[in-house]
Amino acid sequence: MNVRNTFVITILIWTAVITVVHGWLNLGWDDLKRRAAAEKRMKIGFLPVTCHLTCPVTHFINKNIEGEGHFEPVRFSGFPEIKEAFLSGYLEATFMLAPMAMSLREEGVPVKIVYLGHRDGTALMVHKDSRIFRIEDLRGKRVAVPNRFSNQRLLIFRALRDRGMSIDDIELFELPPPDMPAALYTESVDAITSGEPFMAQTELDGYGRVLYLTKDIWPNFISCVLVVHEDAIKNKRDQVQRLVDGIARSGKWIDQTIDHRIQAAGFVSKNYYNQDPRLLEFVLSKPPDRVTYSNLQLYRKEFAEIEELGVAAGILKGTAHFDDYADPSFVREDAEMTPYVWEAPQ
Amino acid sequence: MNASASASLSPTRRRGKKIPASRIVLPLLVAVAFLAIWDGAVRMTGSDLFPKPMEVVRGIIELIEKGLLGKYIAASLFRVTWGFSLAVFLGTPFGLMLGWFRPARDAFNPLIQTLRPISPIAWIPVAILWFGVSDVAPVFLIFLASFFPIAVSAMAAVENMHQVYLRAAQNFGLTRLQLFRLVIFPAALPQIITGVRIALGVAWLVVVAAEMIAVNSGLGYLIIDARNAGKRYDLVVAGMVMIGLIGLALDLLVRQLERFDEVKWGYGNR
Repeated sequence: MNVRNTFVITILIWTAVITVVHGWLNLGWDDLKRRAAAEKRMKIGFLPVTCHLTCPVTHFINKNIEGEGHFEPVRFSGFPEIKEAFLSGYLEATFMLAPMAMSLREEGVPVKIVYLGHRDGTALMVHKDSRIFRIEDLRGKRVAVPNRFSNQRLLIFRALRDRGMSIDDIELFELPPPDMPAALYTESVDAITSGEPFMAQTELDGYGRVLYLTKDIWPNFISCVLVVHEDAIKNKRDQVQRLVDGIARSGKWIDQTIDHRIQAAGFVSKNYYNQDPRLLEFVLSKPPDRVTYSNLQLYRKEFAEIEELGVAAGILKGTAHFDDYADPSFVREDAEMTPYVWEAPQ
Repeated sequence: MNASASASLSPTRRRGKKIPASRIVLPLLVAVAFLAIWDGAVRMTGSDLFPKPMEVVRGIIELIEKGLLGKYIAASLFRVTWGFSLAVFLGTPFGLMLGWFRPARDAFNPLIQTLRPISPIAWIPVAILWFGVSDVAPVFLIFLASFFPIAVSAMAAVENMHQVYLRAAQNFGLTRLQLFRLVIFPAALPQIITGVRIALGVAWLVVVAAEMIAVNSGLGYLIIDARNAGKRYDLVVAGMVMIGLIGLALDLLVRQLERFDEVKWGYGNR
């Protein structure tokens, strides 16, 4: 046989074989019915950070109570990819940085914030041997933030402003959160700040020290919010409502007892985040109010503050306001939203 | 001269001959020395982030026990197979056409040379916007990365062909189709195969970048996932090792194409 035929036939056979193997192992072709059902459900984007914890917790509890989840959680590695998947229409809803969602609205993207994802849950870490003990000591230092649209950046902006300093007094870098611990370990940056558990990891491994927790300098801090495409708000109101209710109830479930926090750390790290459960346990329990999941309603005043800081920090234009980028119609009376009655199987 | 005549002049000397021991022993020695230096360097610096070789082996074993390694390898091979195959089946005829029709080459070459140096990583945002985060986006990135080396080598192969083949063929009064099938394609084949080999290397090289898109399987995903998992740099390196080893296997496989007589004549001088 000549080289061309051998090559073509080999490629064709190999392509068929590897396609079937991949379909079988990774795409669930062995259970087409389940796959079809999963395809129909709304896809929600999330990152493996505690700011997005209610996404997997709601999904897991739904699945355990009703046999199937209401939606399909899709894990991403960074905010830019989440944003692009949302813009492409692949994701109808996702967890996203609040200022990023507000900025997208300013750019004309039909996005609405329907609920918060969490409160607090951010720390600014320095190396344990560093001589930075107060926020003022950050002057002239290199500080890593996850993204220009991250609220962590606004938090630093506010903390510096409150002390008569400006953002120009420090050197800011954008660094993906998963890379931050290694950057601090090697002291290639002086301070890092992002959502958990990446900050707690440096503490757990013994080289990071907390300079501040958000709850100490901006109580009730909001970093990530649940955003939904306007088409889904129009056409899939029921599904969006179930999602928001689920997040409200699972959030309250997490905050109900410390045991629920430990349970959540266990099943989320194993089934969704693929992280060491001790890490999530640490973040969710030391102290328990490091990150909280109750009181997730949308308050106009809080967003006005983010807007004002965003404009001052130069990441927002100030052309979109609460009624443009938020839709609080899915938020129910807080008393109606009772925590799930459910315990994780041992 | 044609391919078979040339092949009969160069007997298949290596076939059936025993591989000399040095070709096994020397690479093994280098590998052992490399591992020893790696291990020693980690111990000396006392880094508890960067893993030692044994920790990487344990990481690979952990992946096997969890049943993940097979899944991830299948996923990466699937994406590379589709991206690369599409590139071969579209890139080869496209390149041959450009090499043969001067106006086509003049028209397309600047565009190709402009697109060629753009890294697949730069295409990630575009790929997600166009294809979402299904398997299509990484396949598209791998296709892009391997299409250009194949098209360019096919084009160059036709361009650089000895005029004497063409003149001889024209003397025999071949039609255009016969000329293409019997002269141009066989003459260009060795160089096309070289391009295909390079392209497969590149296709496998970009698998990590391609799987940075939110797919949830693959060796590239393993590396991204391990970064998200906190201090699991053993799994990051395990992913790198697996990519390296499979890359080696793929290259050895494609080299088998060079054993065919229709290709070997192009390497006759080595």
